[in-house]
Amino acid sequence: MIEVEGLSKRFGMTQAVTGLSFRVEPGTITGFLGPNGAGKSTTLRSVLGLVHPDAGRATVLGVPYRELDRPLHRVGAVLEASEVHPGRSGRNHLRVQAAAAGIRASRVDELLALVELTAAARRRVKGYSLGMRQRLGLATALLGDPEVLVLDEPANGLDPAGIRWLRDLLRSLAAEGRTILVSSHVLSEVAQTADRVVIIHRGRLIQQAAMAEVLAGASGATRVRTPDAERMRALLAAAGISVSTTDDGALLVGAPPERAGELAAANGIVLHELSVEQATLEEVFLELTGGETTQ
Amino acid sequence: MSQLVRAELLKVRTTRGSWVYLIVIVLLVGLAVAGDVGSNAELRSQQEFQVGLVEAAGFSAVLAMILAITLVTTEFRHGTITPTFLAAPGRERVLGSKALAGTIVFLFFGALALVVVAAVALPWLTVTGDEIHLLDGEVATRAAETLLSVVLWGLMGIAIGSVVHSQVAALVGTLVWLFVVENLLVGLLGLLDGEEVTAYLPFRALDAADGTGGDNLVSYWPGVAVSLGWIALIGAAGVWRTSSRDIT
Repeated sequence: MIEVEGLSKRFGMTQAVTGLSFRVEPGTITGFLGPNGAGKSTTLRSVLGLVHPDAGRATVLGVPYRELDRPLHRVGAVLEASEVHPGRSGRNHLRVQAAAAGIRASRVDELLALVELTAAARRRVKGYSLGMRQRLGLATALLGDPEVLVLDEPANGLDPAGIRWLRDLLRSLAAEGRTILVSSHVLSEVAQTADRVVIIHRGRLIQQAAMAEVLAGASGATRVRTPDAERMRALLAAAGISVSTTDDGALLVGAPPERAGELAAANGIVLHELSVEQATLEEVFLELTGGETTQ
Repeated sequence: MSQLVRAELLKVRTTRGSWVYLIVIVLLVGLAVAGDVGSNAELRSQQEFQVGLVEAAGFSAVLAMILAITLVTTEFRHGTITPTFLAAPGRERVLGSKALAGTIVFLFFGALALVVVAAVALPWLTVTGDEIHLLDGEVATRAAETLLSVVLWGLMGIAIGSVVHSQVAALVGTLVWLFVVENLLVGLLGLLDGEEVTAYLPFRALDAADGTGGDNLVSYWPGVAVSLGWIALIGAAGVWRTSSRDIT
């Protein structure tokens, strides 16, 4: 559906993307993750024919974006929320885009209603909040009722209610059989929506897999609660097992529960809790990208 | 292509700035004609003078060029070039649509300016009882030449904007070239006995192409031809520049 093969791109002294290859499967929501500066936007812009790669290629629906017939009917994209003329009303922005794609004008009002911008439709975009611009961007992407959606950080600037709204919208769009590639640094959001993830770091692919696979493969921790925390801690440390204390006084142990339980039993320590802490996408991500922040 | 032209026309209509041009044209041309008619009581019944009045409509040419530069560079300034190229990935088609849509706007500018000339001069000359030549064939010819000239200036603006994507650089650079650099070049070439070359400078050629002749060494049709040559040359550079650039 979207295929990136050996993509490389350098801007001046900055190597933005290096030999990047991945596939976005039809009918899935794929999260595209990476710290800022990892090359996400460069990759998405290459997929959309806006950036000329130095090497490699990117295709959408089997062809380079530039060769798509009626592209807005096939692929919808939201890149930067700021890419709107500030002096134009939201409605006119959509009318321009609809005219360019030969889309009937009534569709504009349908979409304004869908993204809940009807009340602000005739106001100039200058006065829109970032969240409103994001929703206008989504409306633009959906104008042609495309089967593929490419969204770059669509949750940026949305309030919690907006994020929830976006999540529901993406789910319903995916349920209609659309393919969605969404980049984000709001990892918890991606974890709740995406079927698959592509993780890149410094322009290179780190991992592409189903979300469940990524989480399962990650080293989880074992949560241990005991009245004898100090002794337990010392025993674990002596056994060469990493251990840390949580805010509520429990221990987070870098070993499977069997190991922690056996160690406690052998030393006569009473346990109040012994459970597996599932790694979050956030933790997996930090582990894979060497702890750099996503901001 | 017609969809893209329609989208470009919609872009022009849906920004307030575009309407300012119309007001400026009406004011500038109106004042110029009024000044001309008002201060030439003894000449104004002559046909030659009335043909010359059409020159005032030429103000719309510079405005057409400024609007044209803006039509391209605004997209880069506000990032709207991204949705524009997403809708039409063939970038040369986008520039072509801008040139076509622009031509419609330029013709409208020129026509408006001509209407203003008539609207000021006709009643005035009627009231003063002067003989009226404004409906003569000579005036019509000059008016047609003016329209063509406005379109040429506008197309020059599209070409410039597609090479220099920074709005400020394109506008300032063009005006500096028009009012300073070309005059310096003319002076310099004059010192070097190269006057005949000066006629081929872009804005000298565009000047010659408005039918007024002026101080130009090329006459009307060669002026038009040289202007088209410059537009084609700069336009080709613009297509190359716009097509090869990364939209980030």
